[in-house]
Amino acid sequence: MITVKNLYHSYSKDDKYAVKDASFEIEKGEIFGFLGPSGAGKSTTQGVLTGLLQLQKGEVTVAGYDVKKISNKMFNQIGMSFEQSNVYNKMTAKENLVFYSRLFDVETRDPQELLDMVGIGDKADIKAGEFSKGMKHRLTFARSMINNPTIWFLDEPTTGLDPAIAATIKDIIWEEKKQEVTTFLTTHNMFIADELCDRVAFIVDGEIKLIDSPKNLKLQYGAKLVDIEYIKDGEPVKESLSTIEDKDRKKIKEILDTYEIQTMHTKEATLEEIFIKVTGRGLV
Amino acid sequence: MKLWYSFTKELKLASKSFYFYIELIFAVLILVIVLFVIPENFNSTTTEYVLLDMPDSAAAAMEESFLDEDLDGKYENTEIKVKKEMIPVRLIETEDRMVYLVENEDDLEKLADSKKQLGAVIRMDESGNISYTYYLQGYETERLKNLYKVIHNSDMATLEAALDDQEVRTISTDYTVVSDRVNTMPSLLTFNGSLMGMFIIAAYIFLDKEQGIIKAYAVTASTVWQYLLSKTLVITITAIVTTAIITIPILGGSANYLLMLVFLISTGFFASSIGLLLSAFFDSMNKAFNAIFILMVMILVPAIAYFIPGWEPFWIKFIPSHYIITGFREVIVKGGDAGYVLLLSLCFLVGGFLLFIWANARHKKCLTA
Repeated sequence: MITVKNLYHSYSKDDKYAVKDASFEIEKGEIFGFLGPSGAGKSTTQGVLTGLLQLQKGEVTVAGYDVKKISNKMFNQIGMSFEQSNVYNKMTAKENLVFYSRLFDVETRDPQELLDMVGIGDKADIKAGEFSKGMKHRLTFARSMINNPTIWFLDEPTTGLDPAIAATIKDIIWEEKKQEVTTFLTTHNMFIADELCDRVAFIVDGEIKLIDSPKNLKLQYGAKLVDIEYIKDGEPVKESLSTIEDKDRKKIKEILDTYEIQTMHTKEATLEEIFIKVTGRGLV
Repeated sequence: MKLWYSFTKELKLASKSFYFYIELIFAVLILVIVLFVIPENFNSTTTEYVLLDMPDSAAAAMEESFLDEDLDGKYENTEIKVKKEMIPVRLIETEDRMVYLVENEDDLEKLADSKKQLGAVIRMDESGNISYTYYLQGYETERLKNLYKVIHNSDMATLEAALDDQEVRTISTDYTVVSDRVNTMPSLLTFNGSLMGMFIIAAYIFLDKEQGIIKAYAVTASTVWQYLLSKTLVITITAIVTTAIITIPILGGSANYLLMLVFLISTGFFASSIGLLLSAFFDSMNKAFNAIFILMVMILVPAIAYFIPGWEPFWIKFIPSHYIITGFREVIVKGGDAGYVLLLSLCFLVGGFLLFIWANARHKKCLTA
């Protein structure tokens, strides 16, 4: 459904690339997580894929449409939920959805049904300007489904939402997956990515460092980590070390020989830890 | 249909927006100013302070000639306050002049100085020769000063005879004289009806950019030109409403409203396209401020020239607002040149269309940047 080959993008149109040589493919019905810290190039990549940014270099096809020669028909098949809510404040929730439903050439969903899904059905006739940040975010999310998209771009879909609402959003994403909707999920929330994504890509400084499923990543990195807590110079120290990498193995031996061990156990790595391990960078 | 939905949505949003009410208030303000502040015709009466420094018999004869022109044929004895002093004067009021006859040159100088008006001493020597001394304010043009210098080289009787002998032929009588109040309308309509839209449409786009709404629109199956045209249509409707608020009470049935509508739509479209283009080059109103300011000054120049008939440099003809003003002038006068207005309308439509295409291409490139 989405093919990206050797994608480059520079805002200054020189060799300072926000995205460098990114290549990946996303299959129909797959939830693909695009993970990285702020400024890593996630939104830039998503911008190019959705036509919000011009394709400068590389090849990108979305739903069979070449993004280089973007066609408005492509937008009948895609939905986009923005991180920053961008709804008409002076229109009611329902009016917002009704208006957007008229901008597509395909059969659209019932606005009330969508509002009910995201838990703001009873606020349908209230102006969006009177909504809380979270409610606006849910309205933006609901709007992204108005045209029954087959490809769904979600930018931080659960950011700023309370856990119960975030769980609802996750359930909706699962439901859409059952309908074979392809989802491109941009986030820096590794827990969401871990729960939802079939595959994830780690992107740092515009470069994709790795693409794999969370399961494979955990198999590869998870069982081979050991958490050690020990006393060094009278102070407690906590470290997470690999049991296969030479450097870490030597360190484990050194700790065991030198310091007083308080706790030590193997564990399954979180996606965040794997990200840090692979990229050498945190997610903030 | 998408254009229609976008247009109705924009119209609904505009009716709830701050800018829409600013336009309405501005139109009402213009109407109030034109109706209640600007007189039907500006007062062109001049004020002069005159001292007749001559023998009594000669002075009496000259005063008599002044009185011939006086509205009621009588002097009015009055006093004028200068600082704390009351200066006695005799007022002769004609249709276009207020002549105050003063007693001495000292009073004349005080009055000319404090009231910033012309003072003149008319002297007659013992031989009966008349000479003139003028107290000017210093800002008079060289032309006027030269006129004062040459006008008294011949005696008044000769000058009057020469004037009477001159033949004045009117080549064309096919013109309408409009009141000063109506004469202010073309420039007001230009700014309210046509050019206001330029800034308001740019403001609407910048607002959409700031709120990210433009991004949401960009990922729909609607096109950029539909988005831009829907805003242009709203601006046009607003221009028609505000122009009607101003023109109907002032012009009544004397204007060619159909022609005005055609001209308003074409010039409004042209101005809106400039606004759209402007908003395509900047991210926000703040960043566009310098460009807007330069544009404002540029389009104001023809309005200044319009009110200064003697000043119309050739380069003013390269500024579109010059033609909008001249077009509106033809629209509001009875028997105005409809052909000229239609030609201008066509030019503005074509120019607006080309600018719209450019703005569309530019927005397509960087609508969301």
